[in-house]
Amino acid sequence: MSVPRARILALLKTQCTIFNTTYNPNRLRLGNKILRQRLKGPSITNYYPPRIRVVQELKKAYPDWEVEDEKEDERVEGLKIKRQRGKGAPKKRRTAAESKKLLKRRPGQARPAAATPAA
Amino acid sequence: MSQFRAKTLDIGGYVNKWIIRDHTKRKVVAEYETERQSLRYIIRNTSLPQRMRAQAQLQLSQMHCYTRPTQVKNRCIMGGKGRGVLSDFRMGRFQFRMNALAGNIPGVKKASW
Repeated sequence: MSVPRARILALLKTQCTIFNTTYNPNRLRLGNKILRQRLKGPSITNYYPPRIRVVQELKKAYPDWEVEDEKEDERVEGLKIKRQRGKGAPKKRRTAAESKKLLKRRPGQARPAAATPAA
Repeated sequence: MSQFRAKTLDIGGYVNKWIIRDHTKRKVVAEYETERQSLRYIIRNTSLPQRMRAQAQLQLSQMHCYTRPTQVKNRCIMGGKGRGVLSDFRMGRFQFRMNALAGNIPGVKKASW
């Protein structure tokens, strides 16, 4: 008993509508297998654990609230003490000449010509 | 590449340059995944004009190497190692052993019979 081809094609068509697949009786390569693939991006990016900074995130979420940041306070306190002892960071130089003038001479470095004493 | 790298550190845990690089690649892959897949679809679809498919091939091959998913490598989240990493636990084999013996990994027990 043979079934006419047209009938088989009609069956295929209904099958495709039911299972939501592409009707492709000639078996052309339409690249649908690529569209069927899941996007792997989200699972790829989640590999490494995220950085969690509770205080900073709280501050960002509630800018009007005062959140105590112990580490930051400690750092600022330490800076203040250092500055009092004269061990703070040097002031930012504004011009190239200013920075060159105040440059510390390191051992092994030639003395600038202007600074050498006339002998 | 530095143009893709985050300006501030956005991953916790163990961090070294390899991990930062791999994490950057992962983000870029996720960002360009749809673009790559659509180009791949055009290339594989034989019903589209040949010229269009050739152009898509060229475009895909000219995309930055960081957008390629094969650039991503699973590294140990505890020590940054790139070899001998158990992907189920995201840890190198020795880190896995130490953590498993210490009981830090739920459901893992040393076999004994």
